[in-house]
Amino acid sequence: MKISILDMRDAFFDALYLIAKSDKNVVLLTDDFGAPSLDKFRKDLAKQYINAGISEQNMVSVAAGLALCDKKVYMYAISPFVTVRCYDQIKVDLCVMNLPVTAVGVGAGFAYDNAGPTHHSIDDISVMRVLPNMTVYSPSDSVMAAALAEISYKSIGPEYIRFDRGKTQIFYDDNEHFGEGLKELRSGEDVLLISSGVMTGRAHEIAHELEKSNLKAGVIDLYRIKPLNEKLLLKIVSAYDKIVTLEEHLLGGGLGSLIAEFMADNKVLKPLKRIAISDSRAYSYGDRKSLQAYCGLDLNSCVKCVLDWIKS
Amino acid sequence: MPIKHEKLEKIATQTRIKTLDLCVSGGGHLASAFSCVDILVALYCGGIMRIDFVNPKGDDRDRFILSKGHAASALYVILSAAGFFPEAELADYGKGLCKLGAHPDKDVSGIEATTGSLGHGLGIACGISLAAKMDSKDYKSFVLLGDGECSEGQIWEAALFASRHKLDNLIGIVDRNRLCVTDFTEDCICLDPLSDKWESFGWDVCEINGHSFDELIKALSEAKNKKNGKPKMIIAGTVKGKGVSFIENNPIWHTKIPFGKQIDAARKELDSKIA
Repeated sequence: MKISILDMRDAFFDALYLIAKSDKNVVLLTDDFGAPSLDKFRKDLAKQYINAGISEQNMVSVAAGLALCDKKVYMYAISPFVTVRCYDQIKVDLCVMNLPVTAVGVGAGFAYDNAGPTHHSIDDISVMRVLPNMTVYSPSDSVMAAALAEISYKSIGPEYIRFDRGKTQIFYDDNEHFGEGLKELRSGEDVLLISSGVMTGRAHEIAHELEKSNLKAGVIDLYRIKPLNEKLLLKIVSAYDKIVTLEEHLLGGGLGSLIAEFMADNKVLKPLKRIAISDSRAYSYGDRKSLQAYCGLDLNSCVKCVLDWIKS
Repeated sequence: MPIKHEKLEKIATQTRIKTLDLCVSGGGHLASAFSCVDILVALYCGGIMRIDFVNPKGDDRDRFILSKGHAASALYVILSAAGFFPEAELADYGKGLCKLGAHPDKDVSGIEATTGSLGHGLGIACGISLAAKMDSKDYKSFVLLGDGECSEGQIWEAALFASRHKLDNLIGIVDRNRLCVTDFTEDCICLDPLSDKWESFGWDVCEINGHSFDELIKALSEAKNKKNGKPKMIIAGTVKGKGVSFIENNPIWHTKIPFGKQIDAARKELDSKIA
């Protein structure tokens, strides 16, 4: 099946299935969370598929034990449950010991919209990126999701991949290698929009709308949050006077914070506007479109925010 | 063949003396370490574990996880005595930017996993035991839990996991000294009947005196060799601070280290057991 028509998660698991089929040391743990694409894995590779039950803390420690015995381990759950729910285990068992275990979380941002705050993953970038040894990916399309199976398979330390739900817009062709960690998908002159995940599509829409105001906006898809490719980012950022970050994530510690830190550390102190979820709007229920509008992440709010900021 | 138990008794006392020296100079949890010294000596010096300090990462070695990581001082003394690293390295314990700290670090020869945050070790041991089953290896995983640690929810997640996966190559030991940090366990959130709890989770359980080498060697040997599809749990009744009378069974000694004349008194009492 063509990758571009697949859900990100299915694209990833289809690719992982092929890897696991050729390497019996690949083990997938789940906290009793399934996916249509995993049925095949469970059936054909039963010895490599472990339902650890709804016990994420133990799932991480078991993953560490397996990895200590040279297994290449994946842990799969809804994003908050494979990150903040078992954070101490991730810190001690995976990061301190620097073990090759990949946490695969589905439901980035408001993807589990009306399921509410328990299932939203709007703090995961903050908490996961501060962990030493941890690599963090926030992929934006299914082509990248499929490629991340091979990338994570070759990793030598802990990783976290946050997937959105459902089908996404496609930004990459099948030949992309994703080694750079970011890509300038659209070049501009006046303002640079930096985003990742589902908001990369929104960034393109914003850039298109800004054209009506004679503003040429560039778009960076920053799909690898950590380690940040500072050299490439510096080169691109240097060409712009104004920077906007866009994320379906809390303001504190997320992509915008990352860019602010990056600019401060590299003495590239350009005007920066961070568009993200404020604390006061964080814990809400609703469909995704409504939640985005409530948090100022819908297209009109974002365009207005950027224009007002540029004019101010 | 196991070494004679009198010799194990002597090793245990020597271990306590060196552990006292370490804790006095570099801190740590002396009473918790003393509580489990005999268990560690039985495992490493009593012919229970298949270890090879020349090839510490050999594929077929038995694995030991000190889930109650705060007893690292005693484990470091034993690993050093067993040849995993020179005794001289103990001098750095807890000082400066040190390799040996108050909790075990995987990068130290002989240490299988970094621990210290309670509740993780049993799950790690589950993963190791599961890997052995997957790879058709016959090595065993031993994991030492504190009884206060059994208050952690993750312990019981792991307990379910181990019996579900029939990990009869996993041997747990609870250092049942009946003390946690500030209190007696039964005055805290109450663990009894602890054996019944493990049994109800599908484990093969036995209760022993955790300071008797006769009982320790027998229980550990049986647990290691019994293939009944059940993970094993040995509830080892112990005394926190064992070996120094004024430290024994007193909550105030969880983090306290002997000071001044207390050091001499403790050493004198331990020395008298060897003489």
